[in-house]
Amino acid sequence: MFLRTLSLLLAGLVLATPSGITAQGTAALTGTVSAAGQAVGNAVVWIEGASAAATRRPRAVLHQRSLKFAPQVLAVRTGTTVDFPNDDRVFHNVFSFRDGKKFDLGIYPVGATRQVTFSEPGVSRLFCNIHPNMAGYVVAVDSPWYATSDADGRFAIPDIDAGSYTWKAWRASGTIIGGSVTVRPGAVLEVAWP
Amino acid sequence: MTFGRACLAFTLTVLGPGLTGAQTLSTEFDVTGGYSTEGSTAASAAQLRVFGDLSKNYRLNAEATWADRTADVSDAFGAAYPYGGRVQLSEAYVERIFRPSNWLVGVRAGQYRTPFGIYTRSDYAYQGFLRAPLLRYDGYWSITNNFLERGVDVVAGTSRYQVEGSVATPGDIGEARRRGGVSATVRGQAYVKSLVVGVSRISSETYAPARFATGRLHFTGIDARVSHGGVIVRGEWIGGRYWDRPRTNGWYVDGIFHRRFMGPVTAVARAERLRYTTTRPFTYHDQSYSNWIGNRQTVGARVRLPGGFTAQAGVLRQSKVLAHDSRFSLDLAVTYSVRRD
Repeated sequence: MFLRTLSLLLAGLVLATPSGITAQGTAALTGTVSAAGQAVGNAVVWIEGASAAATRRPRAVLHQRSLKFAPQVLAVRTGTTVDFPNDDRVFHNVFSFRDGKKFDLGIYPVGATRQVTFSEPGVSRLFCNIHPNMAGYVVAVDSPWYATSDADGRFAIPDIDAGSYTWKAWRASGTIIGGSVTVRPGAVLEVAWP
Repeated sequence: MTFGRACLAFTLTVLGPGLTGAQTLSTEFDVTGGYSTEGSTAASAAQLRVFGDLSKNYRLNAEATWADRTADVSDAFGAAYPYGGRVQLSEAYVERIFRPSNWLVGVRAGQYRTPFGIYTRSDYAYQGFLRAPLLRYDGYWSITNNFLERGVDVVAGTSRYQVEGSVATPGDIGEARRRGGVSATVRGQAYVKSLVVGVSRISSETYAPARFATGRLHFTGIDARVSHGGVIVRGEWIGGRYWDRPRTNGWYVDGIFHRRFMGPVTAVARAERLRYTTTRPFTYHDQSYSNWIGNRQTVGARVRLPGGFTAQAGVLRQSKVLAHDSRFSLDLAVTYSVRRD
């Protein structure tokens, strides 16, 4: 009898929760990214929330495959350790000397992996000293709420604590822009560079 | 129709219409112009590459090249491509990499560079050096960068220990073109921390006519690379014979320096030695024994410029036999590169 009553109470609680917001009071923020009216892929959008609890695993992977970084732009929360596996049968020499985290992974063969922990926020530009046309980015943000836009400029950041925040956005060859947003069920953010 | 043209036709016919729709295929185009004081040689070259994922499991790599120079009196600009003044298909293969558990198996089929020692295009093509090592220059009686294999190449092992084997027939595109027949290459590689060490062995046909040169080509090589703090040191020792009687051996050591403070500049340095010995009837001027030794030291730099341009410069000091051509020379080149993903 007790279990049945508890089940009914829980079911009622779930049904009473407004659409798009969970029992814990979180919601998703969706939107689009554009520049000069054109959709922008590989832009990183994040909500400032340094004090938020870590909800994602502090581990990510950035492949070197077919002489490319995949993904070309990788967004991570500060403190994340990124694996850099070499999936090509040629050697790569990944380095970041200009901004953000500075490192040089040296050369290593197919099947091998090296790691870098991005402990500070910032944009790290990645290059390969063997393949000059390889370029990628790791964008480390001090927040658990971030996303990278797809080829159509769309993005979705799930599980944000409902409330008002400052958002920021970055894209390659563009400045970091920002603004304010109120996160609630159905919230939409339009990020636009002039 | 030659094999190269057949591969190019296949690539353009089968893959061409789908290239724009295949989002994971990339194209790269490089064009280079250069000048060397050795023989007052001017050179120009262009390469077009198509590479990437054909599907989830299969990858394509195809490369066509054109290169020409005003004189063939030296090995200037002979980094990774032949200078025949015509379009040639250098590589065209499909590969698949399997990752069962912690193991790795890669299978490559088509036309590819001979998997002997440090052999990929990436290692030599305009990466700071404007010349191939003497050991790898087309026409210096060793394993040239213009050797190509038409067959199947398999690599197997773990990330630390790998064995690579190739069974093919020669498909060379340089001046020294091996006769048709079976060409077998095997290479073992170990990787510990920042050190990569390899041992290679090839048994193949020679480039000279059978009535003139008897026996097969046999070479053994040891290669190593180590990297630390923006410095790569690599080198090879190769020894063997092109056919019965002539012997070739030599080595080179490269230093590639790209420290944090150097920004867009990569500095390079190389020391090398090549020795070729033979008895009659392959000697010069009817000598009973020929001993050809060439030494060379190179310092240079590559500078990445805005807009896809790269400038390179190299200063060479040559001694022994090579000093007859030019004791010192200066090589300069500018490359423009564009890539579409």
